[in-house]
Amino acid sequence: MVVADNVHKSFGPVRAVRGVSFELLPGQVAGLLGPNGAGKTTTIRMIVGCLMPDQGRVLIEGRDTADASAAARARIGYLPESTPLYMEMRVADYLTYRARLYGFGRATRKAAVDRAIERCWLKDVRTRRISQLSKGYKQRVGLASALVHNPPVLVLDEPTNGLDPTQIRETRQLVRELATDRTMLLSSHILPEVAVLCDRVIVVSGGVVRADAPPAMLGKDNAEQVTYIVQARIQRAADEEKFIKLMSQLPFVDRVDRDPARRHEGEWIEWRIDGKPGAPDLREAIATASSQTGILLRELRTEAPNLERAFLRLIEKTDGGTTP
Amino acid sequence: MKGCWAIASRELGSYFRQPAGWIIIALYLFLTGLVFATGVLIPGRVASLRDFFALSGWLLLPVAPAISMRLVSEELRSGTIENLFSSPVSPAAIVIGKYLGASIFMLTMLVPTLVYPIVLRMYASPTPDPGPIAAGYLCLILLGTLYLSIGLLASTLTPNATLAFMVTLFAILGLMFAGTAADWVTPPLRAVLRALAIGPRVMDFSRGVIDTVHVVGFLSVSAFFVFLSVICMEARRWR
Repeated sequence: MVVADNVHKSFGPVRAVRGVSFELLPGQVAGLLGPNGAGKTTTIRMIVGCLMPDQGRVLIEGRDTADASAAARARIGYLPESTPLYMEMRVADYLTYRARLYGFGRATRKAAVDRAIERCWLKDVRTRRISQLSKGYKQRVGLASALVHNPPVLVLDEPTNGLDPTQIRETRQLVRELATDRTMLLSSHILPEVAVLCDRVIVVSGGVVRADAPPAMLGKDNAEQVTYIVQARIQRAADEEKFIKLMSQLPFVDRVDRDPARRHEGEWIEWRIDGKPGAPDLREAIATASSQTGILLRELRTEAPNLERAFLRLIEKTDGGTTP
Repeated sequence: MKGCWAIASRELGSYFRQPAGWIIIALYLFLTGLVFATGVLIPGRVASLRDFFALSGWLLLPVAPAISMRLVSEELRSGTIENLFSSPVSPAAIVIGKYLGASIFMLTMLVPTLVYPIVLRMYASPTPDPGPIAAGYLCLILLGTLYLSIGLLASTLTPNATLAFMVTLFAILGLMFAGTAADWVTPPLRAVLRALAIGPRVMDFSRGVIDTVHVVGFLSVSAFFVFLSVICMEARRWR
């Protein structure tokens, strides 16, 4: 179990974290989500004991990172951002060194290293120099080193940052496997990653927790606001203005925009029409209005409110913070 | 001090896993070999390593900062310090482990120089007195560990290894010239500079005199710098 209790941290005039609190139950996989500079890494560094909070406290399995620092840290496996490793070492030697840091004796060390190598699919590179490995393999070495002492809590800072799509898929699969029997906190600025891996999302922005909910629930908060995707035939430039004016005048319509990617096929142009929060289904009104003015539609659908939009809205809504 | 020895042995190994360690050893042996061949091995002179040890402070000058410059700064630069800070190892164990690793590397570097007294024993007549040689080596070790402790502190302060090297180099030069500088200043400061001066202590050792005051002096100054390094390391957790 991990408890962050009203944690604050400033670097000079920059207030990086301004009162973050959450509690991770055993076995829970939580994602710390936020834009770059939101205070994710600072929060994580305080949780793993690399940094002491100015105010508030962090408990790992009941042990305070300030009072019982070593005991708390022994229960955490941590993979820092960008996976720093000793490049000149060989994989097995590095993991053995890590096991020694966690107090493994000669007798138990080899078994611990073998287990970590097995779990992170590193068997075929165990005698290779870390500098010679691909980025994906380096990431696995980092994960193995975080796991070598079999900690009940695993903290990963941006675990798929800088990997190619295949490596991202492999790393996510590995992370999902590792999450089966431990508490996990991972940070990311990539939404789908958190949605796929986590059963809880903690959105951080400007050093404050903006939302804390399961990924599905996070989207629901904004469910009342629906966007309609419309493809309409615009034959003349005047039609475009007419269409915008017509749609904007409909009751419950918030705004009308060209699709951001400006998709079109000949005269068929895609539009995004945002309904006001709590509006009824507008599809019928849109169809009727356009047919009455002679503008043809060939597509009219609602866009499911997704995590991405919920996330952006949360950040935009509250972004008066001190993000550097 | 859990994990201290693991850090020391990794540190020692890392010198030999990279070209830098071998180059440092080669450089040092080249310098000492030069001094031995041109200043000691002179036909007709009484065999003694006195000049050799008297110069030892200078010979270690370019070498010790090179050994120490990466100790902590490399960890800060590459971010591996996070791995250490998140492990259950205390900052003191990290710093002392690194200092031990560097010191053992320096001792390893000194081992091949034992060939010089052996050569003298084999070819010189009369054979040199072993006392001053033992005192000379003790001096080398004390001096080396002192330089390394200064380097350790410099390395703890910056992620830039080159900067750590330069700071160490100039700090050591400062200690070497402290004796000379003492003559230029007024009494209270003069006493301090005299106490810090390395030159006279090295001279005593190279004559074969093992003065406990010198030994304790070297050790306590080294311990002081290691202690400061621990404080700096501990402070990193707070900023």
